Amino acid sequence: MLIRTDNLKKKYSSKEALKGISFSIEAGEIFSLLGPNGAGKTTTIKLLTGQLKPTGGRAEIMGREVISNRQNLRPHMGVMPEETNLYERLTVRDNLEFFCRLYDSGYKRLEEYLKIVGMLAEADTPVKRLSRGMKQKVLLVRALLHDPEVLFLDEPTSGLDPASAADIHGLLEKLNEEGITILLTSHDMEEVERLSDRIAFLHNGRISALGRPKALKLNHSPGQIEVLVETSDGLVERRLDMNSPSTAEKISSWLEESRLVSIHSCEPTLAEIFVEITGSELR
Amino acid sequence: MNSRLRIISAILFKEFKDLKKNINLLVIYFLPVLFTLTFTYLVPDMPRGFAINSGLLFLVVMMGMYVPSMLIAEEKEKKTLEVLLLSPAGAADIFIGKGLLTFISILIVSFFLVLIAGLEGSTLFIIFLATALISIFSIFVGMTVGLLSPDQRSTGTIGLPIYMLLILVPQLSTMSGQRIMNVLAALMPTTYYFHIQEKAIAQALNPGDVMPEMGVIVFSIFIVFFALVLLYRKKGI
Repeated sequence: MLIRTDNLKKKYSSKEALKGISFSIEAGEIFSLLGPNGAGKTTTIKLLTGQLKPTGGRAEIMGREVISNRQNLRPHMGVMPEETNLYERLTVRDNLEFFCRLYDSGYKRLEEYLKIVGMLAEADTPVKRLSRGMKQKVLLVRALLHDPEVLFLDEPTSGLDPASAADIHGLLEKLNEEGITILLTSHDMEEVERLSDRIAFLHNGRISALGRPKALKLNHSPGQIEVLVETSDGLVERRLDMNSPSTAEKISSWLEESRLVSIHSCEPTLAEIFVEITGSELR
Repeated sequence: MNSRLRIISAILFKEFKDLKKNINLLVIYFLPVLFTLTFTYLVPDMPRGFAINSGLLFLVVMMGMYVPSMLIAEEKEKKTLEVLLLSPAGAADIFIGKGLLTFISILIVSFFLVLIAGLEGSTLFIIFLATALISIFSIFVGMTVGLLSPDQRSTGTIGLPIYMLLILVPQLSTMSGQRIMNVLAALMPTTYYFHIQEKAIAQALNPGDVMPEMGVIVFSIFIVFFALVLLYRKKGI
């Protein structure tokens, strides 16, 4: 286990942001925390990166307790925060070279990553002139420059257009293939479903469900299938109960008559599962 | 040790690059020069040394306090401090890097002020030594204001009364015979700096001639440093 939390809690003066969450992430996994605004996603990341101290429970990375080993763990972590906290008056290159010097990582991967995210041409542009999507890409590159083993991404594609989001997704998949462990938070269920090995639903400071996306969908599936059948009135869509004996007979009969056009499973979306479990929308 | 030097020099280099594009702070660098030029050449009745003395005082207070307070407050406001503290850089590295930029800047600008005033001789060593010491005091005060300020605008609200006291009281106390002014002046380290400069400009001095004033400034440095450390431990950065 690379990352582990055990009954992790965080209470601010007026609010209990996390009420005891426990999960573990294996090396090389992409794990997502899915939840609406105010669920505790950013708080979880800040606790795991040592920016906040928990009020209860424990967080470990690479087998070491986070708070007491903060300084030693930092070179192994890359963090992409939700805010675009770059030095606005400096250029992209100045920003990134600064962090290369802090980490003593050399500049060898700087241009490589800028090229991958399509930002090489903007390397000498002041950050204040970049769009939000471009800044997000620079933030991601900044998190990667020192070759961390673990990546924490807080809403990495928030506010991005689909093309920019796809660029980032492609890079994350490539990084994961190279062995980087990724914890990302999002309220975009399509992004989470596409990228994640496992997902945890976070709602009101607690984990409501945890598992592989497919398994979560099957567990909450209504157990029905949707079939498209040719009739005298044209194509008709029918929903059938998978467990009913008559369903198999009907499908067999339509197949013999060459009237069956398609069969699909009726799986809920992650958003529908979230609403079913928590009673709240993913907003 | 090497890694600490590397981190501090990285921060110093970044601050220098950023300063070149920061109009708000660059203005502060030019104000003492403009002030000294104006009073040296455009006010012929000014007492000898008053212009350079006031210019240096303005420099060490405004640049020494205002610049580091703004540097720290801006990082907090723009949330760049959060990601900086996630890197190998610690709070001490950040303070030292930003403080060094201010310290070096003050010495460079004071050199120009001395050139404008036409000072020379053994006086210069005393002036630069005193300026270096009071700068350290000022930088610690500025960092304290930066820690107390949630954003850049607040540095003015919190810091300006302090800066004005430290600049005006030493100068007004030389013109006013009132007891309250003398009592206030005795509490201001900048008063002793002002006196050192007055003596150095008026006559050739050895360091021993201004040891009591230097001693007060050094003592003030320790006081404000401990206050800064206590505030940091209580409040964080």
